[in-house]
Amino acid sequence: MTSDITGAHDDLIEEYLDHLMVSLSGSPRQVRHTMAEVEAHLRDAVAEGLAAGLPESEAQARAVLRIGPVHGVTGQPAVLGQPSAAMVRRLTLTVALVGGAGLTAMGAAGLIGRWFLAVKGTAFLTAPWPPGSYTRADCARWLAGDPGTRSCVTAMLADHAGDTMLEATAAGILGLLLLAGYVALRGRWRDRATMTALPAGFAQAVGAVLAGLAAVGCFATAWNIETTQRGIGAGVPWSLGLSATLTAIIFTLALVYIRRPAAA
Amino acid sequence: MRSEKLKGHLDLLLLSVLSRGPGHGYEIITRLRDRSDGAFELPEGTVYPALHRLEEAGLLASAWDVVSGRRRRIYRLTTAGEAALAAEANQWREFSTSMARVLGAAVTRALRPQAAAGGPA
Repeated sequence: MTSDITGAHDDLIEEYLDHLMVSLSGSPRQVRHTMAEVEAHLRDAVAEGLAAGLPESEAQARAVLRIGPVHGVTGQPAVLGQPSAAMVRRLTLTVALVGGAGLTAMGAAGLIGRWFLAVKGTAFLTAPWPPGSYTRADCARWLAGDPGTRSCVTAMLADHAGDTMLEATAAGILGLLLLAGYVALRGRWRDRATMTALPAGFAQAVGAVLAGLAAVGCFATAWNIETTQRGIGAGVPWSLGLSATLTAIIFTLALVYIRRPAAA
Repeated sequence: MRSEKLKGHLDLLLLSVLSRGPGHGYEIITRLRDRSDGAFELPEGTVYPALHRLEEAGLLASAWDVVSGRRRRIYRLTTAGEAALAAEANQWREFSTSMARVLGAAVTRALRPQAAAGGPA
């Protein structure tokens, strides 16, 4: 078994020690001493398993099983323990990556929406407000923004489409900024404790699940609009759904890449 | 035996194991398991917070040493630990004797109807 900086392919003993390291509280000396004690314990248990004829992986699994959960060694309940600085850093990275990717995906949905707008028109992208829900002043404002038309509904749709594009662009820019922040923070927080505070690929797994759920929700909404409103206003959920699907695929591929078995 | 039941007596068990001589964590667990014929099995990691707590209380002392090529923390009983072990062991004996008396009477009563039912008609 091999190990890397992310801790993705460590042996079971190394993984256990990584989890213990980020869970222990106390002075640096207490932490060092407990780590040394527990490592010696685990190595002894593995040696005992090997002497009994077990293969290395099985001896490790048995040693980890016998020593019990990490919170047994720390003496603190697992859920009540204070989150360590490494855990906070890792969660910050997760939020930055998933949030950044989500907002960027909304920006990308705006690009897809722009294509829908060019191909299928404004009525596909956004639905008009029901009659009676807007005033003459609203109409005047919309028509002023779209001098080429005399129809209030057409001007309203153009205005809504413009707003949608603007929001998507803003989300995309914010998302890219968050992703840039993620890259910068990840460069600074490359210490082993941060990298192993959560399982390797945690952020990618969270991102894949959230993006997948968002895609399903958007496609269901779009399909509902297609069947009940003849597709008027279905463009936004379709574009969001497509973008979310692409995001889920990217996160899944990243997860597979991170969790791939290490070369011998 | 369930590890929850052992937790309340872990300190006494650790003091008792160490009264036979100093030892490191893995050795202590092994001795505990061997001396109880495997009956006392608990998540092995739980001995460390207990050992550290007993050391803080002054009942154990520890020193680092290299044994079998590995650096290990060897625990030994202090004089205060010996006294605490004697006191705890005494209390346990009294408790155990009383429990045996109560349980003995209850078990005898519980078994009597069964014996009568199972006897010749």
